[in-house]
Amino acid sequence: MAFAWPLVAPVILVALPFNGLNGFLLDLFYFTFTYAAMSVGWNIIGGFTGYISLANLGFFGLGSYIAGLMLFHLGWPILLTAPLVGVICSLAAAGVGWIALRTKGPSFVIVTLAFTFIVQFLALNLKDITGGSAGLYLPLLIMDPILRGDLFYFYMLGVLALAVGVAIGIRRSRFGLGLIAIREDEGKAEGSGINTSLYKIIAFMISIWFAAVAGAVHAQYLNYVDPDLAFELIIMLNMIVMTLLGSRGTIWGPVLGAFILFPLQSYLVYWLPSTIAGEVHLALLGVVLVLVARFMPDGLLVTAQRLVARRPPPRLRPVPAVGGEPTRVMAGRDE
Amino acid sequence: MLLLQGLVLGVLVGGMYALMASGLTLIFGVMRLINIAHAAIVIFASYLSWQLLAILGIDPLISIVILMVVFFIGGALLQAGVLSALVDKDLSLALLATLGVANVLEGSEGALWTSSFHAINTGYSDQVYQVGEIYVPLIRIITFAASVVLLVGLYVLLNHTDLGRAIRATTQNRGVAQLVGVNVNRITMIAFGIGIAVAAAAGPLMGMYYPFYPDSHWGWIGKLMAIVVLGGLGSFRGTLIAAVILGIAEQVTILYVPANWAAMVFFVFLFAVLIVRPQGFFGHVARESL
Repeated sequence: MAFAWPLVAPVILVALPFNGLNGFLLDLFYFTFTYAAMSVGWNIIGGFTGYISLANLGFFGLGSYIAGLMLFHLGWPILLTAPLVGVICSLAAAGVGWIALRTKGPSFVIVTLAFTFIVQFLALNLKDITGGSAGLYLPLLIMDPILRGDLFYFYMLGVLALAVGVAIGIRRSRFGLGLIAIREDEGKAEGSGINTSLYKIIAFMISIWFAAVAGAVHAQYLNYVDPDLAFELIIMLNMIVMTLLGSRGTIWGPVLGAFILFPLQSYLVYWLPSTIAGEVHLALLGVVLVLVARFMPDGLLVTAQRLVARRPPPRLRPVPAVGGEPTRVMAGRDE
Repeated sequence: MLLLQGLVLGVLVGGMYALMASGLTLIFGVMRLINIAHAAIVIFASYLSWQLLAILGIDPLISIVILMVVFFIGGALLQAGVLSALVDKDLSLALLATLGVANVLEGSEGALWTSSFHAINTGYSDQVYQVGEIYVPLIRIITFAASVVLLVGLYVLLNHTDLGRAIRATTQNRGVAQLVGVNVNRITMIAFGIGIAVAAAAGPLMGMYYPFYPDSHWGWIGKLMAIVVLGGLGSFRGTLIAAVILGIAEQVTILYVPANWAAMVFFVFLFAVLIVRPQGFFGHVARESL
């Protein structure tokens, strides 16, 4: 089965706003697309390459601030500058990646987490630039509210489509094969002639572009940027849990995870008493993360594919590497 | 004189940093795992200690003992039930599981104790001693002394007992340790439990020292990571020295810049170390891929 829904779904999603979808549901889809696009982005470094990045949240916030400040001071509309903001953040990510990847192993997660702390700290404390904890109120995007909702809907649907397209492109390229080789055995990947540092940094930059664009667009969506909203922990946790639940290292897994988890969370937060909604939400997402990691680390998509195909669990088989000796790649994990 | 004051306070707070970071180092040593939940566990212990004081009137220094026992068991169960299987399968999954644990603790604390700040106040909380021109709050002396006692205990355990020898052997080379008859899975579970128990011991001390919120563990884990990187990941001695160095650097910086900016000292050190000497100042160049 070649998964028909990826072909049907875009048609439905494009048609929906023309068939009376508005208000709450339009917002729900906008958020779902945003999370899906960021998760697909996170998956490029966290899933394909196997390096856990906690910097995507920092760059989401940094993207919000850069885009917000450009609108505030220069009047440049965010929906036009967002791709540029993504590029700026990707270049910054190259620097962060260079420092983080000088040693193998755990320094990447440490540096990426530290980066998120530092950006949030600066957003809070460089009061002259960022407005500190009071935040920045951005000029409104003045237009008909329904059209406005449609605009954000289609914008993030477009970003999500681009994310999936990029992920497919990477997955089918030698570059993607190199990333997976790094995940499976970095030493051997390096031995077979892959410039692992360069590959990892490029994967990180691509991953960050989507986080930063999502952050920029979200600043306009809220018309407001502040250090709490721009660096909300739940955003980072969601990217990771969605990717893991859907299936890490696959194209559609993060999308599936986002489409399942975001609507559920909206319902949950709506249903919980507001005094503890945020706290319970955070704790439950943590519980889901632990449970998925422990009991279904392959995620829904891979687990379902395996059940449907009645295949034994993925086994290691040699596939032609990018030169040199064969690299062991997990069979049945992708596509 | 001001500088001397900063130096003294830096050493005192450095002792507590060392206590917190030593558990992180121990866990990294046996599992190659960065326990992202480490500071969240410290804060959770702070809340429990606060609760024990509020309801039963148990002094935080006594609650250390109770919490260490409870958290040792909890840590060992977490390791055996969740992390052990993940470390074997894929280390990054174990890392994400600790991230999940951190969020479970943070969310639960917020739901149970609200998100406003708490502080552990005892009868001796406000006493300040003066030696010459240096002012030292009694709390800081107590936390330092308690940290040193616990660290000495950990040192003796690691260096002068069979269990300690087994833990060090597992840290240095898991395969060879197993060959010579060390039950490495059991030792890893115990070492993880000890690491968590040490974090729990730091909880009441931290709670007497600073006010805490459910999300204040993020600030702490940032500091702890800077310490273990400066000390060289997995190096116990390096961790202790780095903790004191960064404690002094922070306290001296506070004298000259606003207190909130002093937290940046840790990150400046973190990035400087990773650029200049990525293996840390006391670490070895990795002999195995981690």
